[in-house]
Amino acid sequence: MSVELTGTGVTPRVGFGNVIWHRGVTDLPPLPDPKTVDTDEEIARFEAACERGHDELADERDQTRDRLGEDEAEIFDAHRAFLDDPEITGSVEVAIENGLPAPHAVRQAFEDPIARLAGLEGQMAERADDLRDVRDRLLRILTDRERTDLGDLPDGAVLLAERLGPSDTAQLDPEAVAGFATVFGGRTSHAAIFARSLGIPAVVGVGDELGQVGDGRPVLVDGTDGLVVIDPDESARNRVGDEETEIIPNHVTTTDGTEIEVAGNVGTLAELDTANEQGADGIGLFRTEFLFLDRDAPPDEDEQYDAYVEALSAFPNDRVIIRTLDIGGDKQIPYLDAPEEGNPFLGTRGIRRSLGSDADLFETQLCALLRAGSEGNLAVMFPLVSHVEELDAALSLVEDVAEDLIEDGIEHKIPEIGVMIETPGSVFVAESLASRVDFCSIGTNDLTQYVMAADRENEHVADLHDPLHPPVLRAIRRTIEVSHEGGAWVGMCGEMAGDPELTELLVGLGLDELSMSAVTVPKVKSTLETIDAEDARERAERLLRSETRTEVRRLLSEGTDE
Amino acid sequence: MERTVTIVPKDGLHARPAARFVTTANEFDAEISVATAESDPVNARSMISVTTLDARQGETVRLVAEGDDAEVALDALEAVLTTPEGES
Repeated sequence: MSVELTGTGVTPRVGFGNVIWHRGVTDLPPLPDPKTVDTDEEIARFEAACERGHDELADERDQTRDRLGEDEAEIFDAHRAFLDDPEITGSVEVAIENGLPAPHAVRQAFEDPIARLAGLEGQMAERADDLRDVRDRLLRILTDRERTDLGDLPDGAVLLAERLGPSDTAQLDPEAVAGFATVFGGRTSHAAIFARSLGIPAVVGVGDELGQVGDGRPVLVDGTDGLVVIDPDESARNRVGDEETEIIPNHVTTTDGTEIEVAGNVGTLAELDTANEQGADGIGLFRTEFLFLDRDAPPDEDEQYDAYVEALSAFPNDRVIIRTLDIGGDKQIPYLDAPEEGNPFLGTRGIRRSLGSDADLFETQLCALLRAGSEGNLAVMFPLVSHVEELDAALSLVEDVAEDLIEDGIEHKIPEIGVMIETPGSVFVAESLASRVDFCSIGTNDLTQYVMAADRENEHVADLHDPLHPPVLRAIRRTIEVSHEGGAWVGMCGEMAGDPELTELLVGLGLDELSMSAVTVPKVKSTLETIDAEDARERAERLLRSETRTEVRRLLSEGTDE
Repeated sequence: MERTVTIVPKDGLHARPAARFVTTANEFDAEISVATAESDPVNARSMISVTTLDARQGETVRLVAEGDDAEVALDALEAVLTTPEGES
């Protein structure tokens, strides 16, 4: 049964996806004894936070100017003026002198001004949102909390939040987000303006009921009628924009009969249903990290087994590729001690942890996977492999686990095994890796990051983080060619795989499988049905000779004009 | 030294014009206040106070400045208040 919530629709568009909540930062640690508060130190902390706030605002202003223009960027000047407001700095200093630590002083100092602005009528009240945004920025800096990375949401996410301020929306990738809805806000709130500028389906001012929608739930955001539909049925989903394509439940082929598997990426069990409904041919990337998050201890073998079997039973006729635990880098799990690393993306991530500090967890996971292997068409792949010995070590562990299971008389089956190609090292030894496994899956997000030496999280190098740069394209081509020679089939499970504009190129490069967020499956399937594989190969050949991204883009756009 | 100015930007003394107004006020040493017909004078350097004035397009505000650079400050602020949106 679907549930409808009403709010103010701000864009005449409809979007559908899985919920990700963006939560605020106003919860602070309990107050310390005022006698233990060092007044000078707290004032210095506050001043440093203001300075850092100014720096961030300057960067976000530039980003917004590039994306939306000077008019929208000027809102950040208002934020800087709020940050310097003598009324705020004055009350913060007084509050600190009365024994409050800097974060609590900031929260208190903003209370009255926010209430005053919110009490004004119409557009003026919306400026309270700007003031809250400035407060939350200071609190985040002062409590040393990581900024939620809104620029790295999974494709097709529906973002829910109490409010979205300019500093939030400046990070949002309009290509990735399927829509958003907020508890507060009206047609002139910053979030609404932003959504309209970029044509993102959005509903604001839904009210407290929005809080009942949990992370991962499928929702429809209808900006035309101002509706947020939880668990929408098929007829409701048909409202998703004109551009929405028909769902194709069967496997598809190119015009010349080459079959390309179009699978879904999932990060929660709830997304399995979405993938099914969108017509995915199985799962090409099942991220197991979610099983380990939001808890105090890792899930045991039986709990994991149950989750894997649930995934298999959602796709009884199709393959489900489960990736072993991939933590480290930007993904940490509190109860698993991770070393402090100066450069975590080049540190103990993925398979490195599984073969090192998390060896016990890895063994438990392999046990659960091998047991699940007898329950369906399972495949398992290892993340962040960069040389052959890592793969050999993982493969011999799989054999050890299988022997133990035989000894204990436990039913199991060694699944299809694959390796992710997402480091330059793995690209250069892909032939050796491929000869040892059944398949390779190219993870374009990390591969791009490592080939281009451009941090995925760092907005200053965002332009480098694009798989259309020839070095990345050539790494992909090499991987596919030599892996095929090594006898493995090759898939792709990065963001690139779900971009219908690139489907022809990916077919031309020779991929056997594409795995993406469920919401993009229908479009990619319908695109595939229009492609001639031989033409695609010729065009890909030409495109791969490009020396610059500019040329790559030109050739791609020529293709669409023909 | 004081001056009376009618607000030209269509958004009134709102987010962007207000930010320009406050940023400009901060460039001078003079103590500057701003008031509408109904309100008490408030500190022109305070974004919160200026925003709370809720001064709309066509409304008249009174600027009072004291200090060595009071006159240039008033000239600059008058320019902000009489420049239509998008032409600054």
